[in-house]
Amino acid sequence: MAESVYLAPDVQLPYCRGCGHALVVRHLSRALERLGLPPRSVVLTTDIGCVGLADSLFPYLHTVHTTHGRSTAFATGMALAEVTLDEHRLKPIVMVGDGGAMIGLLHLVHAAQLNVDITVLVHNNFLFGMTGGQHSALTPLNWVTATTPEGNWTPPLDLLALLRTAHAGFLARQYATAADLDTTIADAIDFPGFSLVEVVELCTAYATRWNRLTGKTLDEAMQRQGYRIGEFETEQERPTFIDLYRHEHGSHSASEPEPQFEEVSTRAQLEKELHLVVAGTAGERVQSAANLLCRAALAVGLYSTQKNDNPVTQGTGFSLAEICLSPQPIEYTGMESPDVVVIASGDGWKELLANGTVARCHAGTLVLLDSEVEASPSVGRTVRLPLRRQANPKRAALAGLAAWMSMTSALPAAAWEAVLTALPAGRQADTAEAIQIGRRLAESGNGAVA
Amino acid sequence: MLAEGALASGCRFFAGYPITPASEIYEVMMRELPGRAGLGLSAPDEISSLCYCVGASLRGLKAMTATSGPGWALMIETVQYALMTETPVVIALVQRLGPSTGGATQGAQGDVWLAAFSTSGGYTIPVFSPSTAAECYELVQQAFDWSERLRTPALVLSDKEVGMTTEVVDDATLEKIAVHERPRSTRHPSRGAYAFDDPEEVPTFTEVGGDVKVTVTGSAHDQAGRLRKNSPEVLEVLQHLQRKIEAHAEEMALAKPDLDPDARCLLISYGVTARAARQAVGMLRREGYPISFLQIQTLFPVPLRALDWAVASAPFVFVAEENLTGQYRAVLAPHLSGKQVFGINKIGSLISPTEIVRAVQGVMS
Ligand SMILES: Cc1ncc(C[n+]2csc(CCOP(=O)(O)OP(=O)(O)O)c2C)c(N)n1
Ligand code: SF4
Repeated sequence: MAESVYLAPDVQLPYCRGCGHALVVRHLSRALERLGLPPRSVVLTTDIGCVGLADSLFPYLHTVHTTHGRSTAFATGMALAEVTLDEHRLKPIVMVGDGGAMIGLLHLVHAAQLNVDITVLVHNNFLFGMTGGQHSALTPLNWVTATTPEGNWTPPLDLLALLRTAHAGFLARQYATAADLDTTIADAIDFPGFSLVEVVELCTAYATRWNRLTGKTLDEAMQRQGYRIGEFETEQERPTFIDLYRHEHGSHSASEPEPQFEEVSTRAQLEKELHLVVAGTAGERVQSAANLLCRAALAVGLYSTQKNDNPVTQGTGFSLAEICLSPQPIEYTGMESPDVVVIASGDGWKELLANGTVARCHAGTLVLLDSEVEASPSVGRTVRLPLRRQANPKRAALAGLAAWMSMTSALPAAAWEAVLTALPAGRQADTAEAIQIGRRLAESGNGAVA
Repeated sequence: MLAEGALASGCRFFAGYPITPASEIYEVMMRELPGRAGLGLSAPDEISSLCYCVGASLRGLKAMTATSGPGWALMIETVQYALMTETPVVIALVQRLGPSTGGATQGAQGDVWLAAFSTSGGYTIPVFSPSTAAECYELVQQAFDWSERLRTPALVLSDKEVGMTTEVVDDATLEKIAVHERPRSTRHPSRGAYAFDDPEEVPTFTEVGGDVKVTVTGSAHDQAGRLRKNSPEVLEVLQHLQRKIEAHAEEMALAKPDLDPDARCLLISYGVTARAARQAVGMLRREGYPISFLQIQTLFPVPLRALDWAVASAPFVFVAEENLTGQYRAVLAPHLSGKQVFGINKIGSLISPTEIVRAVQGVMS
């Protein structure tokens, strides 16, 4: 018999007598035969449940027996790996029950959206077979199951309608008893992209024991639910995820390396670790100012660490960065007591009060405070600078850091130049101006505090 | 740096889902993989992320995902599948403050048990714990290496502070290791995907999609991958899953001892707290106080030889870690009998060097 290429010739099917799963297995074998697919170009990916016993029946196909509901996700991973494998063509065929389809619903939705080249056979017997006939999300109204002894009153999920909204390319619903089920399955496998066949079948161990079901009453139930039977190619063939990915990234070109900057010959005059905090308002480039300072420090031979903090919603409230600068590699990145605090806005001040930074300042801490902020730190030396007004709010943090740098001899001014030249051209002028404003503010009168 | 280390290890497939503090790894992999003949993919949840990775690994690709505690909780079924099917995969678990959603932007070292004791049956999954950006780079390579060599899932357990702190790294000092490929010779092709002569042996890998038929299953199986019940061979396979790891435990066990033969106390730490601990050790020694230090980089399997060596002459042992219940201290306890063991623990913020110094002095003086 021709079908023996796929289904073992002497196969003993492991299902109850009359179970629809047996019909699907035979039709699948015939469909593969008809398509003439080499057995090693197919991987049967089976779910958990009676439906999952099928892998042992196909001795020549690759088989992957997975976990409950996840079969589609494993198949998707196997299919997508082809992006990087130039020659192979592997067709994953997923066999999953109605129970598995629901617990793993998002995998079906995502596979349909991505349009991965896999075929899913949902064995819809309207209940959980292997675990004893409990109702599933696809159980029709009024059906008696182990968990709906009075009849099911939760309306069933129309899987195909749902997957249509996820842009599934090929969808079909067919009875397991249909003579041409193999044709439907073959069409699905042949479809270049995501395809799914919902096979309507009966579990003879539970469904027919507790409900009066014949082919005719089943058909009536389907009509009551408005379920059409047949093949629906819902979308014209569209490119698969792999097609699009290859198109998008076809040239395999490496991404542009970040511009590197030259170290400058002047070295920093820093003997021990220095701890800085810069705080301001989210969206006002506080953390990127801190990052520039760390780069500047690197250019003059210092190690640095930068830890950012902001509220969970990143676009509002405070934004701060804690920086350690050191002539040696840095171990502890926390801050027991800051040496320099730059406060660029009221939001920043409020957070530093709340998180305990202000309380941890010592007598020698230099606090550079924007003049608009209503605050009066009681510890350390406070210098008020019109950062927001002169540099504008988005550059206040950077101007503050630049002001500090010209008040101290720790970092040579050349450090900034090195950073500036490595910036993208569009950002150079703006950044240079902020640094210039900071320097001027430090020198005009307040510079004495250094 | 973790992402860079993964790329240097030959990682070609990444699937991720956004979560602070692991999102940066996700973003870097999405940006970098296309240009390096790989695939970066956005998954609809963490279950999918890991399933996609395992699927890709079954095709022969080195694959990784990255997440934090809440996402890891969702991955536990799939990590067990990878273990049972002997499929290499690496998971970067960047810890944040739990339980549940916890503090998304706060660091912690609270997922040690959740990471290590996540399998039914209590199998050992290799867990590496970096304390610096440079160690992220190095230890993710170790994770790939052992994951491939032993055909097992492996974890890199970092945390928000290590994962999201920007720091200067000296390129020249970065260690690059030659990451192995999973054993591939088809020595026993006819005997199936899980064939071994000795239970400590790692079965050779055959990829799904090749010319040799592959049978993969997460169910209890024999050496050919056939589902079996009550078969002695199934029990042999189950024992083999643990024995292949144990056979390499010492080789995998990375620890950095900094011992003082005169010291009566040993400080043990790992991950981000090891940084504060190193600094605390320096402070104590400068005060003339002899102390030994052991940084553990391979949390599991526990580096027993390094531990035995380090504790030999120290009756007092301190274990510093950023969690409430002393998770790793409890893991070490059975190996520290006869010693006085003290925990230095805290949650909510980094343990500082001063806090460690005070804790040690509090006991020792
Ligand atoms: C995560 C998980 N939950 C529950 C189970 C238990 N379980 C095994 S089979 C099954 C039902 C399968 O029903 P269905 O998918 O409809 O397939 P059928 O048995 O009807 O073929 C369940 C719930 C499991 N294996 N894993
Ligand atoms: S329990 Fe139901 S689904 Fe399972 S084999 Fe028997 S008839 Fe088929």
